Amino acid sequence: MYGWIWRRLPGPLYLRIIEAVVLTAGIIALLMFVVFPWAEPKLPFNHVTTQ
Amino acid sequence: MIPRVEDDYDDEYYDDDDYYDDEEPAKPAPPPDSMARKAVRGVGEALITMGLVVLLFVVYEVYVTDLLSAEKQADATAALDSEWSSNVVTPPPSDPNRQAKTTLIEGKAFAKMYIPVFGSDWKFSVVEGTTDKHLEIGPGHYKDTAQPGEAGNFAIAGHRVGKGAPFNDLDLLESCNAIVVQTQTQWFVYRVLPMSNEVAGWAGNAKSKEAACTGVAPLSTTLGDAYAKTVGQEIVVPTQGEVIAPIPHQVGTTVPADKQARLLTLTTCHPRFSDRQRLIVHAIETKSYPVADGFIPPEMQEG
Repeated sequence: MYGWIWRRLPGPLYLRIIEAVVLTAGIIALLMFVVFPWAEPKLPFNHVTTQ
Repeated sequence: MIPRVEDDYDDEYYDDDDYYDDEEPAKPAPPPDSMARKAVRGVGEALITMGLVVLLFVVYEVYVTDLLSAEKQADATAALDSEWSSNVVTPPPSDPNRQAKTTLIEGKAFAKMYIPVFGSDWKFSVVEGTTDKHLEIGPGHYKDTAQPGEAGNFAIAGHRVGKGAPFNDLDLLESCNAIVVQTQTQWFVYRVLPMSNEVAGWAGNAKSKEAACTGVAPLSTTLGDAYAKTVGQEIVVPTQGEVIAPIPHQVGTTVPADKQARLLTLTTCHPRFSDRQRLIVHAIETKSYPVADGFIPPEMQEG
């Protein structure tokens, strides 16, 4: 998977490293601001009210 | 003839095997990527990725939500401050323990809460409502429970981990610790009730003589058996909503408001990082003061 992505990044090595960093940052942002806020209430960690 | 000595020196000097061997041995060709090899690698990478995602989730839950909530809490506090300073302050009612019921708007802060033993920087604006959205802003008041200073049970839920973690240290509260609630017109001082193991010997307990414990006594001795289960701290299962009933654990029995104690109940998750149980803290109102310019209740200095 990682090798497959790396082989498809265009440009010389330094450009590929920059692209890889940007790609990683984008995925982390997507997780932090979209996926986790959505998933968090569905997980049994942080419910504080009584029913 | 001297027999050849088997030595294991490996330096070039004596190594006459490879010494004249100029050519590098050819690297073994990488084995072709068979389907099995690709599959194993794919599974391995997927597992590593999932592990990283889980680690990131922990970082999100414990740190990132704190940052997001701090901003919301600051906004709510700013809105509350501007509301309090702009409105003409109605004079506190003649009976300091009777407050005109105010209309609370969901998601809006209506009171400030201080726990002096947690340090002077421990302060949160309490919002109305206990949905996930409300609790991201700060501690949330259970709708339909009493308001600050009212007879009954002023019940508040708060996060223990992440999202500002207002109730992170709730388990450290001891009997007689002050929980101060400020509304637009009044200060209310609540004190944590004696713990279940202190109830029996409370009168003989040296602690009960301390100034901080004035007005604090096991409710079963002062208010009767209806309050027998109302102690300083308890751990219950999430379905036990009766802990925030006007008289905790008494559902269905109607008690006139003037026979009810003025309680404060805090709820959070327990154990930390789990929602298996709920940690409950009960406190009773012992004092109230009208809000006045420059006045800060002496209880705020405790800690």
